[in-house]
Parts: sequence; C-alpha cells; structure tokens
Amino acid sequence: MNKVWWVLQKDLVAEFRSLRVWPSMLLLGVVVAMVFGLQMDLLPQQKQRLVGGMLWLAVFFAGMAAIERSFSAERDDACWDGLRLFPVDLSLVFWSKWICNTIALSALEVVLFPLFFALSHVSLLAHPAELLLVTMLGNLGLSAVGTLVSALATSIGRGGNLLMAVVLPLATPVILAAAEATRMIAEDALNQTFWRWVQLLLAFAVVFVTVGTLLFPAAVED
Amino acid sequence: MTAPQPAIQTVLLSKSFGLRPVLHDLNLTIPAGQCVGLLGVNGAGKTTLLRCLASLTRPTSGSVHWFGEAAADKPQSRRLIGMVGHESRVYPQLSLRENLVFAARMYGVHQPESRADHLLQDVGLAARASAKPREISRGMQQRIALARALVHNPPILLLDEPFAGLDAHGSEWLVRMIDSLRNEGHAVCFTSHDLAVTQQLADVVYELRSSRLEKVRFYGPNLMMRAAA
Amino acid sequence: MSLRNRLHAACGLSAIAFVAVAVWMAACIAPTEQSMGDIQRVLYVHVSVAWLGLCGFAVMAVSGVGYLLTRNLRFDHWFQSAGELGWITSGLTLATGSIWAHEAWGTWWEWEPRLTASFVLWLIYCAILLVRGSLDDPHQRARIGGVLGVMGAADLPLVMMATRWFRGMHPVSPQMDPLMRWTLLVNVLAFTALFAWLITERRKQLRFRQSNDDLQRTLIGRMKCSHS
Repeated sequence: MNKVWWVLQKDLVAEFRSLRVWPSMLLLGVVVAMVFGLQMDLLPQQKQRLVGGMLWLAVFFAGMAAIERSFSAERDDACWDGLRLFPVDLSLVFWSKWICNTIALSALEVVLFPLFFALSHVSLLAHPAELLLVTMLGNLGLSAVGTLVSALATSIGRGGNLLMAVVLPLATPVILAAAEATRMIAEDALNQTFWRWVQLLLAFAVVFVTVGTLLFPAAVED
Repeated sequence: MTAPQPAIQTVLLSKSFGLRPVLHDLNLTIPAGQCVGLLGVNGAGKTTLLRCLASLTRPTSGSVHWFGEAAADKPQSRRLIGMVGHESRVYPQLSLRENLVFAARMYGVHQPESRADHLLQDVGLAARASAKPREISRGMQQRIALARALVHNPPILLLDEPFAGLDAHGSEWLVRMIDSLRNEGHAVCFTSHDLAVTQQLADVVYELRSSRLEKVRFYGPNLMMRAAA
Repeated sequence: MSLRNRLHAACGLSAIAFVAVAVWMAACIAPTEQSMGDIQRVLYVHVSVAWLGLCGFAVMAVSGVGYLLTRNLRFDHWFQSAGELGWITSGLTLATGSIWAHEAWGTWWEWEPRLTASFVLWLIYCAILLVRGSLDDPHQRARIGGVLGVMGAADLPLVMMATRWFRGMHPVSPQMDPLMRWTLLVNVLAFTALFAWLITERRKQLRFRQSNDDLQRTLIGRMKCSHS
C-alpha cells in the first residue's frame, strides 16, 4: 500500500513542478463553461434543468483531456518500461493513477462549480452534502474509466488516439447519472429517484474500479 | 547435486508483429557470471529479444525462464531483472537523486536514501545529485540509467545499446563497470553495433540474423566467423 | 462435402426455415392489435433482436475474459463474430423500436431510460469494433477488445433494469393475448437459432483467416532462413 502512495507522490510532485497538464485542463474547463454560459440565455427554471448536464459535460471534456495525458509523462524517456519492471502488482499503479486523476477532477470542479453558479445563478449549494456525495461518486467512476482506457491507449502507442473516443460511450452512464442527480439538487427535488441515481453512481464507481484493478495488468502490456 | 539453474533460459522463443516474424524459435541460455553480446543490423530484433527477456513484451510462443522460474509469473520475480534501455527511464521532473530514491522505494530496498547516495557515488554523479535528467550530458544520462537499473542489485542485467552515443572515455568506464559486475556473478546481456567493444567485453557473442541466433567467433580484430547456435 | 459441413449447412437451413415460420406467424397468425393495427407486429422482431443485442455483448465480454485468461486467439474469434452480429442486432433494435414508438407514442425517439441505455450499448459496440478495426496485431486487438468488452458489459444490467429502476415509457411485459405470447416466444427462439448459427459461421471464417496468416508467417520465416 505504501507503493500506491510513492507513485502518487511522484506524479503529484512531477505535475506541480512541470505544470504540464492541470493548467491546460482548468483553462479548457473555463472555456467550455463560458461557451455554455453564452448559450444559457434562458429563464431561471430552464437554467435549473440544464445546468447539471452542462456542468458534467464540461467536467468530462476538460477532465478527459487531463486523464488522457496522465500516462504520457510515463511515455517520455520510456519511464513506462521502468514502471512495469517494478516487482509490484501493477494493480497498485492503477490505484495511484486513479487517485491522482480523481484529485485532478476535484480540482477542476473547485473551479467550475463557482463559475457555473456565477454564470447561471442557479443555486447549487442548497444541499452541499448531497452535492459533495454526487460529485465524489461521479469523479471516482469517471477517473476509473478514464485511467483504464488511457492506459490501454498508452500501451498501443500511436494508434491510441482513437481509443479516447471510446471513453464517452463507456462513461455515459456515469455522466448521465451525475447530471440528473445534479439537476435534481438544483431543482430542490431530492426524492426517491435522486437516490436511485446516487445508487447508480455508486454501482458504476464500484464496478469500474474493480474492473480497473483486475484488468490493469493486462491493459498495460506491450 | 543438481547443476545451478541458468540465469536466463529461453525455450523456442518466437515473436511476430502481425505477419512479420521477428524472432523464430530461439533457444538462448545465459548462466550466471557470463556476459553475452548480441550483434545484429538495425531492425534485426535485438531490442525485441531483450524486451522479451525482461518480460516487457509477451512472446508469441515459447517461454523465458529466470533461474528456472517462468518469467513474469509473479510480480516479485521481476526483482531479478535490471534493464537499461535506449532511453534513460528517469523522470525529467525529478532530480537524479529523487529518481533513484523513488526506484529504490518501489523495489523495496532497505534505506532507499542511503542506497541512492551510494549509487550516485558509484557512477560518479554524486556532485550532480540534485540536477534534473535533461540538464546533464548523454554520457551522464547513461550513467544514471545504469544506476537506476542497479538500484536493487539484480542478478540479471540487460543493456540495450549501452555504448551508443558514448565517447571513448565514457565507454571505457562502462566496459570496466560491466566487467566488474560480471565478475561479481551477475549475468549480463547487452546489444551493440561496436565489434571491438563486444569482442573485448563479451564471453559469448551471438548475431541475430533472419530471426535466428548465430554464434560468432572472433579471429583477430574484426575477423569473425558465424555458426548456427 | 464432409459430414460435418453438411450438418452445419443443415443447421443453417433449418434456422432460416425456423425464422421464416416465425415471421409468417408474426405476420399472419398473431391477432391484430386493436389500437395500433399491423404496425404492432414489428414488436415480435424488436423483442427478438433486442434480446440478441444483449446476448451478443454477453458472449463478447465472456470471450474477452477467456482471451485475457488463456491468451488463446480462438476466444477472440468468438469475440469478433459476437461483436459484429451484436452490433447489427443492437442497431436493428433501435430501428424497429423507433418504428414502433412512432405509432405508439407518436415520436421516433424519446430520451427515456431504457432507450438511452440501449443507445449507449450500441455506441459501445461501435466504438469497440472501430478501435479493433484500426489495430493490425491480432493479440493486441484481442487484448484491447477484451478489456473494453468487460468494461462495456457494465451497461448490460442498466439496459435490463432501466425500466424497473427508473420510471419510463418503455413497456414491461404487458398483458397479451396467448397467441401473441406464443408468436413472440417462437420469434425469439427462431432468431436466436439464426443468430447462433451466424456466429459460429463467422467464427469459422475468422479462424480460417487466422490459420492462413499463421501459414504465411511460417513461410516468410522459412524464406528468410533459406536466403541467409
């Protein structure tokens, strides 16, 4: 378990020193939010219905741009081969990358949530605990899918770009569930259906993390 | 008493990419304490063979054994392998010392910090310990790559083109280094284009031609004869 | 023709005959539905292909796991054939469902839980087949397919349970005339038989291509050897 932490620490230190991925992720998120904001010249009630979906689409697109590159640093100077030669279960590496990507997504949301609030005037903070729950579950699921697919993409090298197109359909259930749940928070409708969506988010997070843990060693082969 | 298991043994090792066969039914044995040189033109499959030996690439058929144990069966057995590739395998954002400490921790080495300092001393980079990999010369990069590969003192050392891009001084140092490792009982396998260095360093030399290994014998400088291995 | 081939052909012919009977039952035997008229008959095909779209994915995911465990390309032949046929049936599900919805709901498409989940399933099929098509090395193709297939299988329970978990418009086992029920059953069985036969045929084709490639590779290896 220590090793999960060592890899995570290495990744975070490298990212904070080089600032290669996160700033561009945040910028992309802000741009997407702005484009959505421009389109949202609507009545308050209509905004309430839209804001969840737009928020999560912005998180998805900006976040995937970051997650896609979470292994590209390993590709430089063939660090990837060095990582694969360590006598540790590669599933632990999946956990490090997964946690790192979840942190990246959370950082993105810290910027995007206030921004969407400012642009749409929809009060998202009426139910902070529920919003936090939905956001965390959504992040965990999204980053698990993203991490596994970007590992696959890295393992096939140049042909990997196409693979990132697969993430969208695979992650759609998570995005949909998170968007619907966020919409219900915005509309102040925390009924049984809301909790269904939360359950779905939880189920997908658990499934994707399990699948990722089990299949990661196969995903990073050459 | 049974004979000691060879450090590396391949059984009918084959690898092909799509329709292109790269390695065909190779049987290679490297006992501990032996240094094997691999020659071959560009694209002959030297790197692929080395990657198969390190379990980085899964062979299409056949198998690789380290000390009698099937390679890559258990993650723990990867501890037996140290490898220097074309590239240095150090993270450009971390300093040389941080890179070695990270690798030592991942290998579960006791006291990673002092091991890193010790290695930096060994490869003569102690003065540049806090430099970033991009700030140092090619020769020094090769040294840090070697230190990175030796961090867990592996009994098997694989080197891919270790002499490429080194000046006379650098390659002399590397020859001495590899020589002393071999004498300590490490099994070494390296690829090279340089006949003179290969002849000087290796106990056994093979050439990879047409997906097969041929044993090479030297008769005087640059005069060699091949025989099917 | 060997006995085995003849048996295979006989299976195929009887599957096709079975489907013909089923379609005839759907078109002529089953009673006409009162509110929708003849359009409702598309339902018999719709339910059958929807079931097969799910089956195809399940076969794909299981053979993906099979490949990852054994690294035997035989599993990948199953994967590819199930993937292709599953993609077709899953696409047909959306098409026939759309026709039905146009009559029943007055709209071609509705963003309703089960429809959305089925659409996502079809997209995943598309993505997996596309990515696999872009790769040359058979083992790489099989490995990538296996991992993606297992991940995509998470959508299967969603398609099945969508109507139960979330209120939607999609009907769930409505009351039916017994004759309609029998027709539906016959249709599902007949299409499943045809599907199974097509999968095995396609798999055989892929296996032949594989042995052809193996043969070529051996020949190239021999030639290289004799040249040197």
